Amino acid sequence: AEEAWKAKMVTRIVDLRSDTVTKPTETMRAAMANAEVDDDVLCSDPTALRLETEMARIMGKEGALFVPSGTMGNLISVLVHCEVRGSEVILGDNCHIHIYENGGISTLGGVHPRTVKNNEDGSMDVDLIEAAIRDPRLEICYPTTRLICLENSHANSGGRCLSVEYTDRVGELAKKHGLKLHIDGARIFNASVVSQKLSLVLGVPVHRLVQAADSVSVCLSKGLGAPVGTVIVGSRTFIARAKILRKTLGGGMRQVGILCAAGLVALQENVAKLEGDHKRAKLLAEGLNKIKGLKVDVASVETNIVYFDILEGSNITGPKLCKIVGEHGILLMPESLSSLINGQPYRD
Amino acid sequence: MVTRMVDLRSDTVTKPTETMRVAMANAEVDDDVLCSDPTALRLETEMARIMGKEAALFVPSGTMGNLISVLVHCEVRGSEVILGDNCHIHIYENGGISTLGGVHPRTVKNNEDGSMDVDLIEAAIRDPRFEICYPTTRLICLENSHANSGGRCLSVEYTDRVGELAKKHRLKLHIDGARIFNASVALGVPVHRLVQAADSVSVCLSKGLGAPVGTVIVGSRTFIARAKILRKTLGGGMRQVGILCAAGLVALQENVAKLEGDHKRAKLLAEGLNKIKGLKVDVASVETNIVYFDILEGSNITGPKLCKIVGEHGILLMPESLS
Repeated sequence: AEEAWKAKMVTRIVDLRSDTVTKPTETMRAAMANAEVDDDVLCSDPTALRLETEMARIMGKEGALFVPSGTMGNLISVLVHCEVRGSEVILGDNCHIHIYENGGISTLGGVHPRTVKNNEDGSMDVDLIEAAIRDPRLEICYPTTRLICLENSHANSGGRCLSVEYTDRVGELAKKHGLKLHIDGARIFNASVVSQKLSLVLGVPVHRLVQAADSVSVCLSKGLGAPVGTVIVGSRTFIARAKILRKTLGGGMRQVGILCAAGLVALQENVAKLEGDHKRAKLLAEGLNKIKGLKVDVASVETNIVYFDILEGSNITGPKLCKIVGEHGILLMPESLSSLINGQPYRD
Repeated sequence: MVTRMVDLRSDTVTKPTETMRVAMANAEVDDDVLCSDPTALRLETEMARIMGKEAALFVPSGTMGNLISVLVHCEVRGSEVILGDNCHIHIYENGGISTLGGVHPRTVKNNEDGSMDVDLIEAAIRDPRFEICYPTTRLICLENSHANSGGRCLSVEYTDRVGELAKKHRLKLHIDGARIFNASVALGVPVHRLVQAADSVSVCLSKGLGAPVGTVIVGSRTFIARAKILRKTLGGGMRQVGILCAAGLVALQENVAKLEGDHKRAKLLAEGLNKIKGLKVDVASVETNIVYFDILEGSNITGPKLCKIVGEHGILLMPESLS
């Protein structure tokens, strides 16, 4: 019977490794094939300009810039806000910029990080952030704090969302000390959808969620499903500096409208699908939690990310579990055993 | 009425062909950061083979291709790179190798033909006995074809000589080969032979070869492994990038053969411009697809005015350099 079960052919792959694996839809492929293009480095690509204008409008900021990745989006943002040598940025000890971006802000940008503990919900205590701000009177031996970074939704906490109230509080703190605020909003639309649900009466659109921020990095290639890219938004001055730094980093692409066309489709068609991803993530979390030997903090599953623990005494290890479900066509990310719901297998 | 635009500003403005658009629409893709994009892997394998190197890596731009190459060869803090005083890396890449990478440049005069005198390169190599106050030379960079010299080509003999010098002093050699195919076609030398002496080459797909985006860097397996990490660090790790790589494959397969025609047309243009009273072109120096012309003193026209007038006739020129 076991052989028969194993011999049953896998007819469908369910890829839960990450929402980065999303593939372009048919609409996107058509849009890419027909995209009107020109040289974006000469500021002539009409499709790139359309995407940037639209994203700036949606986010409530003056300008926007398409970049190849979220890593570049964050790197540019930090480096532009911290243009002066000797800068320091305050960020969570478990945030993407600090853990998964090769330390580029330091190794390439010469910016010093000052971490503050990330709480389970993705936030940092506001008084701890304030305590981390350098006293200018001791500048003889201190770097100068110029920037605070938040991450919303916060990946390593399991896709937890920062509320608009919390974001505004951190924004006020930043203003009080003459600092800038950047939001790593790779999954800001996921957070916005949740916020809208929680504040149904108020209705928190995404531009309200990021109102306090000087800049936001917004990913198109994750849950929104575009093949490539992130858009950073901010003031006109910020974007002007960002454009130069993008070129310097090597992110100045030519007929990039090809990719931007898919990005526009992602914005227009796929934000509405995120709520379904969240529902399916919750379903998965509840189901996993019922399995003997596994444990999920179901209440903490707010968006499209599900972490589960294998309890001690279970007769299985992480890598083994991944291998077994892999044989059934389900792909998990073994090292962290998190499942990111990207929705596509279910939508299609 | 202008019925047709002739865009001569740069070969960066080339738009994707119909074949490319179809290829992009149908490209098989996956997450390239997880090394799963089959079309990216196909392009990289093909480019490595064509260049005669072990491995390759697709990057968003020539600037990133050069930046990665310099930074990988100069991973140790306190490094210096020798390069031409009029080369693209030094003039048009925002000084990124220094501002981002902490690498110190040491320029050597570019001759009119794009080369640097080999004895001047050797003289620029730092004496290790003075390391207490000298940076450490780790790399020499050449550019072939050399844009600011007017698209001049470095011969395989010259490239080999510089390669031998590098080996003698245990330095690496990188070639900014944005237009290496133009050089190969103009010289009649297979491209892998032309770059044989180099440890790494940066090859552009988005210029004369016409792909919408991208450059491929080639080198040893070890070099490419380090390059991949640096690409991620710089923010060049794209996901379903096979879309772009599909167009790159078409560019490689279909458009190298078209470069010779570009060179013929450039020569024609140069000869014609040179006959116009008030303009001067060094026709003999036009070797590939770039034409520079001078407006002679006493002419009754200025650069910006000339650009404006021809612009009204549908011809686009790059005003600041009048190439």
